[in-house]
Amino acid sequence: MQHQPVQHKPSGKRKISAGVIWKVIGALLLLIIASCSITIDSVVQPSGVNGGDILPVTLNVTIETNDNQTSNFMVAVLVPKVWKAAQNATITFTSDITSGDQSMSVIPAGTPAPQGGGLDWPTLLATKIGNGGNLLPDYEWVAFYSNASYSVVANATIHATVSIKIKTTTDNLLFKPGYCVANSTDGLSSSDRYAASFTGCLQVNGQGDLIDFCNPQISTVDPRTSLDNDIVTLTFDGGVQSTGLDNASEVYLCIAGITTTGDSLTVCTQTDATKMTSLGLSKWQKDIWPRKLFNLADNQHLTRLRYFFTDATGGTRVGYAGGSTPFMYTFKCQ
Amino acid sequence: MKYILFFLALCSTGFYACKPEMLIAPSEPRKDISGNWQIIKATRNGTDLTTRFDFSPFRIRFTDSTYTIDNPVPFIVSRNGKWAFDDPAYPFTLSFQAADSGAKTSPLLFPVTGGQRNLIITFSSGCSLNTYQYTLQKAN
Repeated sequence: MQHQPVQHKPSGKRKISAGVIWKVIGALLLLIIASCSITIDSVVQPSGVNGGDILPVTLNVTIETNDNQTSNFMVAVLVPKVWKAAQNATITFTSDITSGDQSMSVIPAGTPAPQGGGLDWPTLLATKIGNGGNLLPDYEWVAFYSNASYSVVANATIHATVSIKIKTTTDNLLFKPGYCVANSTDGLSSSDRYAASFTGCLQVNGQGDLIDFCNPQISTVDPRTSLDNDIVTLTFDGGVQSTGLDNASEVYLCIAGITTTGDSLTVCTQTDATKMTSLGLSKWQKDIWPRKLFNLADNQHLTRLRYFFTDATGGTRVGYAGGSTPFMYTFKCQ
Repeated sequence: MKYILFFLALCSTGFYACKPEMLIAPSEPRKDISGNWQIIKATRNGTDLTTRFDFSPFRIRFTDSTYTIDNPVPFIVSRNGKWAFDDPAYPFTLSFQAADSGAKTSPLLFPVTGGQRNLIITFSSGCSLNTYQYTLQKAN
């Protein structure tokens, strides 16, 4: 048996290859997707607020649609954790396609975000949008859905005005708030399906130690809210400014714990218990358990820490802003 | 007559042969955590502290109903006392009742990893805003 080669007969008409068809479809899809957008046109936010007052913020949002869709509107805020915005914030909005104030509710943490690969909204927002340049880790994204879902038609332009009211605490802090808008169908699936905006540094005129999320700090404490039975991380960042420890090969903690009765318990010897771990780039870190470090009795409790960073001899001390005043940390839990 | 007797014998044999079978469902054994446990992983608010803080001397010894702590670290309780599962066969929480204080309860995960049973507990030792998660494994 002889095998005959298979021949393709040239047709009279010129055939368009499948590759070209897919490219055209792809381009059309891209055009359609690219024509759908959501933007935050402006953020109206005061530059400062008194601690304990309500922070009023207005977002002016424009949504341009390319297809019919029914979704819930999503608004998220980046705020200091201590504000507990999930309990203390209310968000409403008005729009061209609705009548009256539309209410929104917190999306419980753990609820998967649409097209978010299983991540919940706070995690997805932190991953995709970030922290807006806040330098302390005690911030959180809190996301809200509209209580109702809305049907939009293709090729419409919708304006929405979002009203955010957040009850602040009496903490004295500087923070860069962030805002994000999206919907419950597209989530953060592509950059044109959501919009985010970060403002400048908001000053909250409160009480106690300043919690500065905006400016690099020579020393930070994590977590910001803790008690003496927590593990507390003290960090010294010699890269922020020149200090007497610029060339130190070892850095130690010289620390005093102030008890509720006003006693001062000091640990200021250069031992393993006070030796800080180098993180490189003139950055040092120490995790302490205050109850053990100060050998507290059951009935003793600390209200504050007062501390310096020293070299291996203890002769060179660096305090607040690189000077001779100690850093202060107040234990609290609110 | 022979046929009738044969038929009756067949019926009575069948009657006695058809006993209902007693099926006993296998029971889930009580989870046993007796022994010494050490911390192999610790996080605070999601940040891994395992290599940053010295958890290695810590031991907790569980017996049938009591526990004792050696070389304490921040933990759900700081004194020795009694422990209990919410359900000995399918535990979802582990309660610690330290002497002279109220019971403290932690959500419990009880996975087997690398052939070793782990106890994963979540709690706040100081401020309630801070959450610690410890993974404990039997110490040798």
